[in-house]
Amino acid sequence: MQRRNLTPLVLMSGPSVWLAIFFVAPLILMAIFSLRPDMRGALFSLDWTPTLKHYETIVEGEVYLPLLLVSVRVAFSVAFFATLLAYPLAYFLVFRTGLRAPLLLTLLILPFWTSYLLRIIAWKIILGTGGVINSLLMFLGLVDAPVPILLYSRLAVVITLVYVWLPFVALPIYAALQRIDRSLLEAATILGAPPWFSFLRVTLPLSMPGVIAGFVMVFIPTVGEFVTPILVGGSRGALYGNIVELFFGDGINWPLGSAMALIMLIGVLVLFAVAVRLVDVRRFIG
Amino acid sequence: MPKSRRRLYWLSLASTLAIGLLVACAQPTAEPAPAAPVEPAQPAEPAPTSEPAQPAEPVVPAEPAKLTVLEWAYYEVPEMWVEFGQEHPEVEVIFNFGASNPDIFAKTLAGSGEDIVHFYTPDLQFYVDQGLIQPIDISKITHWDEIPAGFQETCTIDGVVYCVPWDWGFSSLLYRTDKIPEGVDSWNALFDEKYAGHISMYDDATSVVPVTAHMLGYDERTLTGEQLEEIKQLWIKQRDLNLFYWVDEPTLEAGFTSGDVWLAYAWNGAYYRLLAAGVPVAYADPAEGRESWVGQYAISAKTENYDLALEFLDGKLGEITATHLLVDYAYGHVNPSYYSAVEDPNLIEALALDDPGTLDRTNFTVPISREIRDGWIQLWAEVQAAP
Repeated sequence: MQRRNLTPLVLMSGPSVWLAIFFVAPLILMAIFSLRPDMRGALFSLDWTPTLKHYETIVEGEVYLPLLLVSVRVAFSVAFFATLLAYPLAYFLVFRTGLRAPLLLTLLILPFWTSYLLRIIAWKIILGTGGVINSLLMFLGLVDAPVPILLYSRLAVVITLVYVWLPFVALPIYAALQRIDRSLLEAATILGAPPWFSFLRVTLPLSMPGVIAGFVMVFIPTVGEFVTPILVGGSRGALYGNIVELFFGDGINWPLGSAMALIMLIGVLVLFAVAVRLVDVRRFIG
Repeated sequence: MPKSRRRLYWLSLASTLAIGLLVACAQPTAEPAPAAPVEPAQPAEPAPTSEPAQPAEPVVPAEPAKLTVLEWAYYEVPEMWVEFGQEHPEVEVIFNFGASNPDIFAKTLAGSGEDIVHFYTPDLQFYVDQGLIQPIDISKITHWDEIPAGFQETCTIDGVVYCVPWDWGFSSLLYRTDKIPEGVDSWNALFDEKYAGHISMYDDATSVVPVTAHMLGYDERTLTGEQLEEIKQLWIKQRDLNLFYWVDEPTLEAGFTSGDVWLAYAWNGAYYRLLAAGVPVAYADPAEGRESWVGQYAISAKTENYDLALEFLDGKLGEITATHLLVDYAYGHVNPSYYSAVEDPNLIEALALDDPGTLDRTNFTVPISREIRDGWIQLWAEVQAAP
C-alpha cells in the first residue's frame, strides 16, 4: 500500500478541532437553545418541549426584522466607504512609496496598538458638541450653535466604524496589489493604454480578490455590531446586535437571543448567496 | 484530496465535534465534593417555596477553612467584612466576581458554586424560582431587628426571608441647577421638551418600567397590556429628547460635567461625586417618590457552610463594616443605627440621612417574576428597535 502523506491532515486537525469546539458546537447549542421555551431548569437539561414561539415573537414584534435591514444597510455603507477609502491608500503604499512601504504600513496599523475603547473616546472628543469639529465650524462662523448630530447618531456609528475598519481593508488590498506582475502594466503602456485605462483594465480587476476580501471582512462583523452604537449611537443609534445583546445580557433570555442571532446568521448567508449569484465572484478570484 | 482521505478528514472532524458536544452537554451528575465548594454545582430543582428548606445540619465539616462569595469588584476588601474577619481569622474568604446583575445570575445558574451571592433588586425572585438559594435563618442574624421593615420586605417572598439586605441607594432625577434653575419636582421632567437633547436615561428595562409606572400611578407588578403599551409609546417618543442612554456612571458624570446633560435618571453616588467636584447639580425629590435599589446577600442552596455564611452576613451588619461602607464608599447601609457616624454634609444630603421622611416616600424595588421581567425587556427592546 502506498504510504499516505499525513501532513495536511495533521496540520488541519488543530484548527479543525478549535473550530469544532469553539465555533460549530456553540452554534449547534445556540440552535437548540432557540427552541427552548424559557430559561427554567438546568442549563443543559433536555427536559423541555421544543417550540418556535421565539421566532414568532421576533416576527410579530414587527420592529426587529426592519432593524435587521437597517443593520445590513449600515454594514453595507461602512464596508463600502471603508473599501473606497482604503483602496487609494493601499495603491499609494504599493506603487508610490517604494522602500518606505513597510514603515508606512506600520504607521497605518499603529493606532491599533491602543485599545479600541480609547480610540472611541477619542472620537467622542472629536465629534462632541464641544469637540474639535464643532469648535472649528463655530470658529469659521459656518454654524452658530454646535451641530449635535455629529455625536450620538447613526451617522456617528458609521463614521467611527469606517475609521476602525479602514486599515483592515487596506491590508488585503495591499497584498493583492503587490502580487500584480508589473510587466503587465508595462505591456499595457507599451500597447498605448493611458494610465487610467490600464488601471481600469489591469490593476483593478487583478486586485479584486483583495477588494472583495476586505469588503466581506468588514461587512460581516458590522452586521452584528453592538459596542460602537452603545458608545456613540445615542438614543436612536441601536442596531440589531444591540437587541441580541439585550436579550443575552440584561434580559437573561438566551432562547430569544439565540433565535434572533440565528435569524441574523441565516439572513446574512442568504444575502451572500444572492450576491454570489448576481456577481460572479469566481471571475474575480479565479 | 483523494476521496478516502477526505472521508478520514471529515470523520475526524465529526468525531471531534461529537466529543465536544458530549462534553458540553454532559450534566455533572456527581455531587460536588464537600471540601471544594467551587466545583460546578448542578442548579437544583426549584425548592418548595412554601416551607423553608432545612438548613444544613450543624455537623460542620471539621474546621471549614474556606468561604466563597460571588461579589462585585471593590467589595472584597477586608474593610467590607471586618467583623467576620475578627471573629474567624482562620477562615479563608475567597471572592469571585461578577460584572452586573445578569452576569452574576448567569454565573450562578451555570453552577459557579459560591456559598454566598450578592445581587441587587429586583433579581431575587429569579434565584428563588431556579432553586439557587435557600431561606435565611433570621434567628441567627443578631442585627436583623435593626433593619427597617421596608428593607426586610425586599428580601421576603411569601413570608420567607431569602436574603439579607445590605447596601442601598436612591435613583432620582439629577439636574444641573444652572441650566434648570426652576428645578424639577416630577419624573415627568424626563419627557419635557424644554430639555430636549439634554436628557439621559439609564439603559435598563428594570429601572425604566417601574419609574414610569410610578409616574403614571400604576403598580409595576400588575401592569396590563394597555399600560405597558402606554409606557412603551412614551419612551419611543422620548428618544428624540434623550441624548444617550447611560450604561456606566463615569459616562453620565462626564456628560454632566461638560454641560451636554442637564437632567438624568441617576444614582445618589453620581450626585455625591459631582457635588464634591464642584459641578452645580441638585438631586430632586419627585412628587411620585424617589426610586431605590437595594443590594442583597443570599446563601447558595448547595452550600456546605450554611452557618458560617450566616455569620458572614451578620458580620456585614456590624458597626465597623457599616460605617466603612457609609463614610468611605458613600453608599447607604440598611442599618440606620450607624448613620450618626456620617459627618460629610454632601453625603448626608445625597442619602437624605437628615430627612427620614424621604425614605417613607421612596419606592423600594420589589421582586418580580421572570414573566414580568421578560415583558419589560421586550418592551425596552421594542423602544430601541422602533424606527
